[in-house]
Amino acid sequence: MTSNHDPSILSPDRTLPPSNPPSQKTFPFPRDYHFPPYFTRQPTLTTRHAQLQKWSSLILSYCRYHKIWKLSLADAIESDLFWNKKLGKRLSREDAREVLEFMRKEGRSEAVGGKDGSVFWVWWRDPEEWAGLIADWVDDTAQKNTVLTLYELTESEATLSQDFHGMDPDLLQKALSILVKRGKAQVFGQEDQQGVKFF
Amino acid sequence: MSRKGVGLAAFDRSRLTSAQYATHGNNLRTSHSTSLATQLSVFRSLLQQFAQTHAKDIRSNPTFRAEFARMCSAIGVDPLASSSGAGGKDGGGSFWAQLLGGSVNDFYFELAVRVVEVCGATREENGGLIGVKEVRDRIMSTRPEGSAEITDDDILRAVETLKPLGSSYSTLKVGHKTYIRSVPKELNTDQSAVLEAAQVLGYVSVSMLMVNLRWPRARAATAIDDLVSESMLWVDKQCDEYEYWSPGFMLEVQDEGSLG
Repeated sequence: MTSNHDPSILSPDRTLPPSNPPSQKTFPFPRDYHFPPYFTRQPTLTTRHAQLQKWSSLILSYCRYHKIWKLSLADAIESDLFWNKKLGKRLSREDAREVLEFMRKEGRSEAVGGKDGSVFWVWWRDPEEWAGLIADWVDDTAQKNTVLTLYELTESEATLSQDFHGMDPDLLQKALSILVKRGKAQVFGQEDQQGVKFF
Repeated sequence: MSRKGVGLAAFDRSRLTSAQYATHGNNLRTSHSTSLATQLSVFRSLLQQFAQTHAKDIRSNPTFRAEFARMCSAIGVDPLASSSGAGGKDGGGSFWAQLLGGSVNDFYFELAVRVVEVCGATREENGGLIGVKEVRDRIMSTRPEGSAEITDDDILRAVETLKPLGSSYSTLKVGHKTYIRSVPKELNTDQSAVLEAAQVLGYVSVSMLMVNLRWPRARAATAIDDLVSESMLWVDKQCDEYEYWSPGFMLEVQDEGSLG
């Protein structure tokens, strides 16, 4: 707590959080992101809860914006998501993990492969919602009873405008298996050349 | 010597004069009250006329609304005070409700609901103490484009309307800023001083308080710790000395950003 720098309320050399807006092309970070204590674990329980909720919604909108389905903790803490370089503040690995754990309890994230993993699914849409989205698209484009390859579904130009374009293959499997369970789709074929037929 | 009579008749005379004074006084009072009543009814109808002609302006133009409210309070009419208790058979709502068919009143009640929403939604992050400006910004940001502007004055008036509910909503002035307090919590003078200091740069530190307020370390640390435990300050540990930030600053920063 002690320091020998000269603290003064009116000292002019202190930099305030950046006030210039981010350029249009980058993700528009919320106001909280420019608030220095946002990156420090708050000791008061209620404040902490508010903080976790703010982080949760930031991560969800960040991942939605960048179409991130799987968030690697190691990579993320080096990225601007958890590291505000202008402010010189960053979220520690432990704190970031706690946020994701908080999101898991809210049903908005899930560890990929085991509890101790450091890669997380971020459900800005959960598999159920993805399944619904894909089924709706098939419906809208009248492609029921036609066979599509999984590659077509997520990588072809036809789905460019869809949120599930470029979707993580593992997640696609999850979503499709939900549709299969409902009897709305059938997946067949080998590893690399899978196809799907919707009913 | 006294020019008053000294005989017994003096008693009669004085009784007579005081009786005359009393009747005259009564006459004056009645004539005053009737003329006042006339004036009042004329004034009332004029005010009513004015309010009706300008109902739209009152609703949509914040400056106009504030001026109208100021005019009412200058002449001792509290437009928001409910008259339902003392009112006659037609006195169902407040003065404005009677005048404007409820539109202005509703405006403030609706606004009050929004204020309560904002206070509730942010209570965790600010301990139930939020600047009027922040409340206004939050409400404005959720309103559709082009909807009527609201002012700080409107927000304060809306908070006033919550009073009859016996709610814990009140306003509080710290330094140059007015806050809305939505939890029944008193700030002691030290805490107010810290909050005021935090308005300058958005944050305070223990040594800042020691230097600027000439407080001993323990006093500064206690005041800060109290505010932190009330969620009224957030701590930033990623600096030489811990900095304690006012959550209201979160919103202000964003403001500057959106303007720039």
